[in-house]
Amino acid sequence: MIGISLLVWTIFVYMAMRKLYARFYFPLLVPIATSTVVMIVTLSIFRVSYEQYMTGGKWLVHLLGPAVVALALPLYQHRHTLKQFLWPLLCSTFFGTMIGMGSGLLLARLFHLPEQVVRSIIPKSVTSPVAMDIAKLIDGIPTLAAVYVMIAGIFGAMFGPSLFRMFRITTALGIGSGLGAASHGIGTAKALEIGKKEAAISSVAMTLSAIFASLLCPLLLLL
Amino acid sequence: MGITVIQIGGLYVLYIIGSLIQRLLHVPIPGSVIGMLLLFFLLMTGIVKEKWVARGANMLLSHLTLLFIPATVGVMDYVELFSGKGIWSVVVVVISTTIVMFFVGLIGQWAQTREQKRQMREVKGA
Repeated sequence: MIGISLLVWTIFVYMAMRKLYARFYFPLLVPIATSTVVMIVTLSIFRVSYEQYMTGGKWLVHLLGPAVVALALPLYQHRHTLKQFLWPLLCSTFFGTMIGMGSGLLLARLFHLPEQVVRSIIPKSVTSPVAMDIAKLIDGIPTLAAVYVMIAGIFGAMFGPSLFRMFRITTALGIGSGLGAASHGIGTAKALEIGKKEAAISSVAMTLSAIFASLLCPLLLLL
Repeated sequence: MGITVIQIGGLYVLYIIGSLIQRLLHVPIPGSVIGMLLLFFLLMTGIVKEKWVARGANMLLSHLTLLFIPATVGVMDYVELFSGKGIWSVVVVVISTTIVMFFVGLIGQWAQTREQKRQMREVKGA
């Protein structure tokens, strides 16, 4: 019962936060960030554990699978654009994945983080199911990896558009591949707000980086 | 509304098939992504018509952010990351994400402008 009411509350909070964002359009107010904060505050006030919340929240998680499948539609609708830019997309996401994992590894070592944390940070740029698998494979902590994935996603959705504006990155290919490669599904959700073409490119970038990361990650740690 | 629900059901079936393929072949790609590639293939070959999935797909995609909320709320079990030494791991993630976004965005931008210039030249040459 508590799960279902929290599920309804989640939907309500999301709708309200979307309205708020549409009104002010300020990066710190992206719905994924504000909704998360409101939900965590709600759960803390009523002393509900994450586990209890998930008895209702799992229904939304169940829809995440088919939603990823649904990304085939923008992919199909923009197949001509994708064909035209297949090589640039392959190259940029390949280097993006390398830069993402490499810089994560180097910076984490530089800050002297514990080894298990380092290994959980490495796959942060890829979609959470893949990131968790990678973390398991390289002796990181899967749930911790998922947390870093979420931080990378939320941060990208918040500040990605400002970063693109600052460096005059305005093309669909620049915006879409940047969001998808750095912030996976949450970045793709943000790209959908910008345009369908950006979203199609973002979902390709997200898929490619997931594939590249799972192939490259075991190699990276050999270094 | 009924059609939308049925179409989402269809997408769910593809997701299940994708997960089964993943488990059978032990590939490191998640079932949902395999399901997406499968649907893309079905659309390309014309076995599945765009309008059979369009309403359900658009419904899910326009509320993609909502579907991520339960996962992001999971951060609450790791509050210690945001206090004390843990904060440095968050700093690392933020810096690294910025670097990736910047470089991939720049390469993408450069590739698109180059490709468009090339096509313009071809048009002029023809």
